[in-house]
Amino acid sequence: MRGTLTILSFISAVFFPWLCTALLAVAASFFEPLVPLAVGLFADTLYYTPQAGVFPLYTLYGAVVTVAASFVRGRLSASPVRDI
Amino acid sequence: MKKTFLARRNALLSSTSVSWGVLALAGAVLLLLIRLLAPNLFWYTFAPVFRASDLLAERSHAFFSSFGDATALTLENERLTDENAALSLKNQELLQRVNDLAELGEDIQGIVAGVVARPPASPYDTLVAAAGLKRGVALGMEAFGEGGTPLGIVSSVSSDFSRVTLFSAHGVTTNGWVGQAGLPLIIEGAGGGVLRASAARSAGIAAGDVVFVPGPGKLPIGAVVRVDSDPASPSVTLRIAPASNLFSISWVELRDTGITAFPPKADPPSAGATSAP
Repeated sequence: MRGTLTILSFISAVFFPWLCTALLAVAASFFEPLVPLAVGLFADTLYYTPQAGVFPLYTLYGAVVTVAASFVRGRLSASPVRDI
Repeated sequence: MKKTFLARRNALLSSTSVSWGVLALAGAVLLLLIRLLAPNLFWYTFAPVFRASDLLAERSHAFFSSFGDATALTLENERLTDENAALSLKNQELLQRVNDLAELGEDIQGIVAGVVARPPASPYDTLVAAAGLKRGVALGMEAFGEGGTPLGIVSSVSSDFSRVTLFSAHGVTTNGWVGQAGLPLIIEGAGGGVLRASAARSAGIAAGDVVFVPGPGKLPIGAVVRVDSDPASPSVTLRIAPASNLFSISWVELRDTGITAFPPKADPPSAGATSAP
């Protein structure tokens, strides 16, 4: 599931409208928080041009989702004391 | 025997193996480096992928269109056929005029380039064109679509590819006129292929008025589709739809018109690529 969502997000950045990519990246963030940041970076690598805006928005949006997903995962995870 | 210890918790990195997220991020960073250090190689690699993307978009559009109402499609087809006939006649007339101008010594030939990426896949209202420095493309050249419709300005050039920032890109402004009276306007890109402008309410601008930008003469860039007005304000906001469908542009003509529609900004330095200074 993790791998599929990650790869689909990247494929979507090239083949499908950005909204579809955003949804896939957010879905992937439930399993892999770094994926939205990676997909945002990938989208900006493909499409960003400084004349269209000062900031690479998709990287920034991806970073925000990554931070949010990491925070949520941190809250939901089990106790820091683990037994082996 | 059970051991209890405080595990180092990190939501991003797993202590046992490299996660998909880390791999994805590493891949994205690697592609970014390739684009910055070898932009031409990058676009050569991705051009076939973008072409496949276009093909997919075209096929899917045809598939979903087949579910449309047949009667409406027939009427639309008839209307378009009539319009096409009228445009063909107009085209002949303009072609004759172009020939006359060419005989007068005016060089109006540009560089025709295929489009390898366009909205909505390209989210910033940019086009990637398959022509670059080798074919004489330079920064600031204007891009034109079918029928000579102005689309945008070349904002970045590598050896074999160039990127065109569309007039509809967010924050891009250009001067123009609206209507037959030629009322001056400052046209602003609103993103997503849409333009907007403000005008005085007393100007009496209505939906359907054509908007022009400077080029060789006045060039139609689109038409007013909606006029938003606030009774408390003396001005109205015009919503302008581009004359060309940005989602189906397959080629552009690039030529130098001597007009820079927006102040160029600095591009990150990259070997082999030229961008606006």
